[in-house]
Amino acid sequence: MESGKFSVGNEGREVFWNAEHFEALLFVFAGLAVLIFAYGVYRRWRMWKAIGKPEIRWDNAGERIKRLILDGLFQVKTFRERYPGIMHGLIFFGFFILIFGAFFDATEFHIAEPLGIEFLRGNIYLLFSVLMEIFGLFVLLGIIMALWRRYITKPDYLGYKGKSDNIPEDAIVLVLIGLIIITGFILEALRIGVTKPSWEVWSFGGWILAGAFAGVDHEQLKAWHKITWWGHAFLSMGFIAYIPYSRLLHMITTPANQFFSSLKPTGELQPIQDFENAETFGVGKLGDMTWKQIFDVDACTKCGRCQDGCPAYLSGKPLSPKKFIQDIKTYWVQKSSEVVAANKTAAGAGGTAEQKTAEEDKTLPGEVIDLHEIWACTNCMYCMEHCPALIEHVPKIVGMRQYKVLTEADFPPELQLTFRNMENNSNPWGIGSHLRGDWAKELGIKTLAEDPNVEYLYFVGCAGSFDDRGKKVATAFAKILQAAGVSFGILGTEESCCGDSAMRGGNEYLYQTLAQANIETMNGYNVKKIIATCPHGYNILKKEYRSFGGNYEVYHHTEIIADLIAKGKISLKKPVDKLFTYHDSCFLGRYNGIYDQPRNILNAVPGLKLAEMERNREKSFCCGAGGARMWMEEDIGDRINNMRTDQAIATGATGVALACPFCLTMLSDGIKDRKKDEQMEALDVAEIVWEAMGLEEKKAPAAAAEAPAA
Amino acid sequence: MRGRPIGALNEARIRKKEENVNIVACVKQVPDTEAQIKVKADGSGIEEGGIKWVMNPYDEYGVEEALRLKEKKGGEVTVVSLGPARVIETIRTALAMGADKGIHIQDAAFDNADAYTTALALAAAIKPLNADIIFCGQRAIDGDQGQVGAILADMLDIPHVAVVTKLEYTDGAIKATRPIEGAQILIEAKLPCLITAQKGLNEPRYASLPGIMKAKKKPVDVKNAASLGVTPSVNMKVVKFTPPPARAAGKIIGGDDPALKAKELARLLREEAKVI
Repeated sequence: MESGKFSVGNEGREVFWNAEHFEALLFVFAGLAVLIFAYGVYRRWRMWKAIGKPEIRWDNAGERIKRLILDGLFQVKTFRERYPGIMHGLIFFGFFILIFGAFFDATEFHIAEPLGIEFLRGNIYLLFSVLMEIFGLFVLLGIIMALWRRYITKPDYLGYKGKSDNIPEDAIVLVLIGLIIITGFILEALRIGVTKPSWEVWSFGGWILAGAFAGVDHEQLKAWHKITWWGHAFLSMGFIAYIPYSRLLHMITTPANQFFSSLKPTGELQPIQDFENAETFGVGKLGDMTWKQIFDVDACTKCGRCQDGCPAYLSGKPLSPKKFIQDIKTYWVQKSSEVVAANKTAAGAGGTAEQKTAEEDKTLPGEVIDLHEIWACTNCMYCMEHCPALIEHVPKIVGMRQYKVLTEADFPPELQLTFRNMENNSNPWGIGSHLRGDWAKELGIKTLAEDPNVEYLYFVGCAGSFDDRGKKVATAFAKILQAAGVSFGILGTEESCCGDSAMRGGNEYLYQTLAQANIETMNGYNVKKIIATCPHGYNILKKEYRSFGGNYEVYHHTEIIADLIAKGKISLKKPVDKLFTYHDSCFLGRYNGIYDQPRNILNAVPGLKLAEMERNREKSFCCGAGGARMWMEEDIGDRINNMRTDQAIATGATGVALACPFCLTMLSDGIKDRKKDEQMEALDVAEIVWEAMGLEEKKAPAAAAEAPAA
Repeated sequence: MRGRPIGALNEARIRKKEENVNIVACVKQVPDTEAQIKVKADGSGIEEGGIKWVMNPYDEYGVEEALRLKEKKGGEVTVVSLGPARVIETIRTALAMGADKGIHIQDAAFDNADAYTTALALAAAIKPLNADIIFCGQRAIDGDQGQVGAILADMLDIPHVAVVTKLEYTDGAIKATRPIEGAQILIEAKLPCLITAQKGLNEPRYASLPGIMKAKKKPVDVKNAASLGVTPSVNMKVVKFTPPPARAAGKIIGGDDPALKAKELARLLREEAKVI
């Protein structure tokens, strides 16, 4: 039956076999599918354009394309989670190759063959066949894994607090893709069943399946083949048409969102520029967001990775980054459709419709998003670190906080006290600002006012200056610097609060006031290099102060200590025989990628053993104090610091090593709360190092050498 | 409660405005509670350098109550303060919270003014406003005298209720709750009257940013002794400020025998500390 065209040595297949007259019709359907697809995309395009402030997200195209290749084409972030990564990879790469194959096949048949070039023959055809079989099976396997996960194992991240997210569309998409593959294999099997070319053993899937049709009348097989052919064609065309009307839209929006993702350093926020004339601040209405902040929500696939490590969600608070994005999306779909419709009528008759929709605008914080959600966020950056679509959750939450604080002045009363303390005494505790430099008095540390000719400014921060526990860390670190002969000074009472808790708590005005005071002081002393012991200060001085003319080289104390050890400037000789676990501070780790230095330091301490908690490095679990949560009550669900303490206890460690004063407070409290304070202690890396240097009894020779101040 | 005949004109004014209350809030600028207070070498006052100045917290309750009343009933809040140039910051704070206009009484003649003179100046500034209700703090946290509100009410010849923790407003009258030891009393007063605010009356708001920006443009009338027609008369003068004695070092009682140590402790408490 096979035409004489193909033979062993010249393997191939007849493209429209048993469907000779369908070719034209198929083109009509394909055209129709593409039209439906294009209309859907156009409709969405109008919605994307309907609401949002301008923002440039297409500069530095090279870097953007690199991101698109890594996270789009190679699915780097998607693969971070094994099961979902493999599942999505099978479907994604499988489909990618199948579509590429179909394109290859069509090019050969419709373009090359009429020109007399037949390249899909012989070994190339056999390789093509076997590849298509393999990737077809990959897709099928991926679909089975997806169905298994979504409908059998039902992990929590595919829902919200035990309630599944599933909508019929999720099933439709999976079944649709599955059926396209299955009909493809059946189609192949029916053709092979009739034509039986020996080389089609390379199309192993179809070849094996053809065995099932052995003995069936050929005319019967051909009739079945015709029906399946149309079924396969309709499903495939239907798939294309369905893309912009379903979750399949993420095939467009997710890579687009990756391309448009922020190229700024992690966590850097856009400062509010105009306080004088604006009527409203932050994100109140949908229109207060930029187009990209809104576009984010259309790129979300509800994969739930954000939620899976969110300290607020996992501790039982109402916030889930996924639900947050999806709730905005639901409102945006409704609102943008209204705006599109209103624009249409307004274009016809005079422009009243637009006003009408504006009046009905809901306020996002409060009416679309529950206020408990926006105040529950610790700004820990887990969601943004792990979102495969590179959605930017945290700036939206901070934006909504800004609206509540600056525009409405309606926010948790504990924060009001914190803000007032920062206003009146330049520290969140509200301790008299004149006491800021007192911790250093007996150590002989000079202020820049006393001696500005130093290499480093040690920006002590509020915790190091006022908190009893923090002061011990500052003291240990200062003694290390003195012992290593590092030239440094402090600002003393001239130092202001860095403003991190104000900024992340939504009080941008207060933050900018504090930042400008610090910048003015530091620039006045011509400060170039800064060391901070608090990752919050470190992060804000390094990234955010630039917006106001504060350009410094900023180091965290773990970077400095690691460097001193590596260069042999300090020696750790006194053994610390203890099992420690290191807790990654969010503002050090995810925000600034400092994971290795603290671990290198701890590994350099003789006798010290290090155990990792299950959630570590990029996946570290927040202590609960970031995003100004340090100063707020935690009255819903479990206490995040206790959960993290439990994770530390589970390692069997008797010491928790930290590099952040907030984490130190939270974990110390957790240890007390879990009644482990007799067996376990929380220490800053600097304290452990100072102890291991074994200089304490000798009473810090470097300190004694210098004249004590005041 | 001191009564006073409400003239026909006054009654008409209240009736006409009905839900439009004319409110005054008096505020004083004081050092922040955490500020480091250093007494001047000559004991004549405190060193002002480096001090963070804030609104007296009790006055803040008064401002907040004034704003809540205005928001409920309509009307206008005028904030009045006496003090040097820096006091404008505190007036602006009240304006940022939502007060409508300010009066700043600034005159070197009022430096070191006692409670009577302060009330005299405030009364002169407030009288032309025809206020329905005046709020003061129950006392200021710096001088701690708690007299200005009462003297001011007397000078304006209106009733006053002191140390109020709850206030209800009904047409032309108020019901104020005032705690006394172990109980509280409910006092009714006709308007106009003066209230001195106590902690618990409310939770003062945090100024919104548009509020802060608008406050910069709100009118503040600057008055001096001459424009008020007041002759400052100092009846009371602070002779000397003395800082509290520095805290002495603690004492640890040594020894091994708890009974002896207890005995020694008892002796020290009786003879040295003189507390038992």
